[in-house]
Amino acid sequence: MTSDIHTHQNSQPVWQKVSPWALVYFVVHFSVRFVKDGLLNLLPMLVVFVTQVENKLFWGQIAALVAVCGLVLYSLLYYLNFKYSISDDNEILLNKGVLQKERLTLKFSRVQNVNIATPFYFTPVNLVNCIFDAAGSTAQEVVLPGVTNEYAQAMRKQIFTYKEKQQIATSDISDDTNDDDYDEKSLLISNKEIAKFGLMSNMAILAFAAAAPFINATINFLEKQLIANLEGFYKQELGLITTAAAFAVATLVVMLFLMAILLSVAMALARFYNFEVYFKDAKFKRISGLLERHQLTMSLDKVQSIVIKQNIMSRLLKRYTLQCLQASSGGWGANAAKKNKQTLVLPVLTKPQVNSVCQWVYPWFDSEKLIFKGAHRALLYKNLAFFAALPSVVIFGLCIALELTTLISVGGVIVLSGLVTLSYQGYGYYLHQDQGRHYLVIRKGMIGVQYRVFELYKAQSAHSISTYFMRKSSLSSVHIQLASGFAFMPYIKTPDANYLIDFTLYQVESDTRSWM
Amino acid sequence: MFSNPQLIQFPQHEAIRFNPLADRALMHVQLNWLMFYLPLIGVLGAFYYINSDLWGHLKPYLLVITPVLIITSLFYNVLNVRLQGVAVRAHDIALKKGVIWQKVTILPLARVQHIEIHRGPLERKLGLASLKLYSAGGMSADLQLTGLTHTHCKEIRQFVQNYGIDGSKEQAINHD
Repeated sequence: MTSDIHTHQNSQPVWQKVSPWALVYFVVHFSVRFVKDGLLNLLPMLVVFVTQVENKLFWGQIAALVAVCGLVLYSLLYYLNFKYSISDDNEILLNKGVLQKERLTLKFSRVQNVNIATPFYFTPVNLVNCIFDAAGSTAQEVVLPGVTNEYAQAMRKQIFTYKEKQQIATSDISDDTNDDDYDEKSLLISNKEIAKFGLMSNMAILAFAAAAPFINATINFLEKQLIANLEGFYKQELGLITTAAAFAVATLVVMLFLMAILLSVAMALARFYNFEVYFKDAKFKRISGLLERHQLTMSLDKVQSIVIKQNIMSRLLKRYTLQCLQASSGGWGANAAKKNKQTLVLPVLTKPQVNSVCQWVYPWFDSEKLIFKGAHRALLYKNLAFFAALPSVVIFGLCIALELTTLISVGGVIVLSGLVTLSYQGYGYYLHQDQGRHYLVIRKGMIGVQYRVFELYKAQSAHSISTYFMRKSSLSSVHIQLASGFAFMPYIKTPDANYLIDFTLYQVESDTRSWM
Repeated sequence: MFSNPQLIQFPQHEAIRFNPLADRALMHVQLNWLMFYLPLIGVLGAFYYINSDLWGHLKPYLLVITPVLIITSLFYNVLNVRLQGVAVRAHDIALKKGVIWQKVTILPLARVQHIEIHRGPLERKLGLASLKLYSAGGMSADLQLTGLTHTHCKEIRQFVQNYGIDGSKEQAINHD
């Protein structure tokens, strides 16, 4: 494969094939899909197999062989049918499918990112996967597997050049970039720091959640194989007769906990290994990954909101995570976008690193210097009543009924009141104007903290919410829906809430820039 | 048709004059609730035949709770429909709804991705329809307008589809 991009000049598209090495990609891709989606669908059959079939080993091997042959055959047919063409109408045409043939057309103007991923099996042959993310849709992702790096870079350049020309033609606002944008800024994160991200994140919980359907079988296995052996060890070697069972269970819990941490660290390293991020010409470029070196490019204009967050663990480690979120279909779509690596995540940043990244994109942003307007005290009183006093009364009643010490409810009221107060203090909003652009920062958090920063014209819709008592006290809550998540500010004075909503609407309705 | 040109300078949403729902909207809501209660009454009837002893114990409570529940929901529906309102302005659509939590949602027309009109059997019978407007955010429709006449829904849909084509967006910008 050469780095020349063939375009067709007439109505007949010039179809191109990808490298035969792409077959490896299809085998891996369909294997992963089979494990992720297919196995769950086959769960009833798996239950019948485990409970009803006698010669499990033999039939299991037969089933595995059939599955492997089927996957390889399907991948081969998929590869044979996989053709693409770059049309002179500036669109990517893709023919794919085995049983159901598909023709996919993706216009250059709809391409949000061109990402280049190098899976470990392509490294020896110097090939990459060229991934085209369509704006606002994760289902419309186009992947050209097994193309040369030069070809992928040329494709990226062609698409971005086309999009830049389009933007210049339709908008004159994007011309006001600063001269210093042309200096490339970079940030490298060491793998030791990435390992810390494994401790901070909940990746292991996600892995355990994926294994949830097999939890009963796992517990049975652990009970038979591990706990019994551990109990025997404690009885025989340490002479613990009465407490051996308790020790065995405690050991198992500690082991599982350590496994979860190790798994989380391993997953963080697999995703963010040798993390590099660059910022130039208002575009991010991030390269990371152990098994697959993934190169993601994201234009700052496409970022819908930036989230800087610190959970309990990261607070202990004094680290932050910064996320640049793109348009997604929201909710489940947003999760899918994260899975598809469309979200730019900068993990385990120290405070100076956060400030330095913010200097690239929002030079005015310094969380410690911004003067946030907080929520009204009525929120504190309401939450104390509903989330501290009420549960404590229930706990008090239970203590009386179960003849336990009522000090538990006193402890409950203290802890819950503390958490409610922290949550109340966490809320805040800040409106900012910088070079004619208007931004909103929403802060929230209980023990940790989260800042969401976005340009107001990117909002999708706005809501005000109030109850009878809130209206009596002239209070409202504001909810601004974005193409990636939402911003919520509870219990602010109604005139402030009205101003926030009206000003957001004004920005949305008067700004001519494309929000996507 | 849509006379609400107050927003051009600054879209003051608190000054929106909401239009009430269609005349038959209340009937639609009440019938919908009835459709919910009918199977419930059926289940209670079946329960009476299957376990008459337990029925005997629960009967006094059910005879009090069920009518109270039905009457409360009938009154709640009246309040709910009366508190709802829709306003179509030059550049956005607003919906006010909610009895306990009153919510005002404003969706700028420039952010509408697609529109759907739904008509269930009851709505068709009553000449009503529901309009769903989707933006790029959120899991479901950003704005769901129920209890409007079918004609009204079609007019709103046409208005939204024409937005931007007839230069209304440019008009707004010229007024800045």
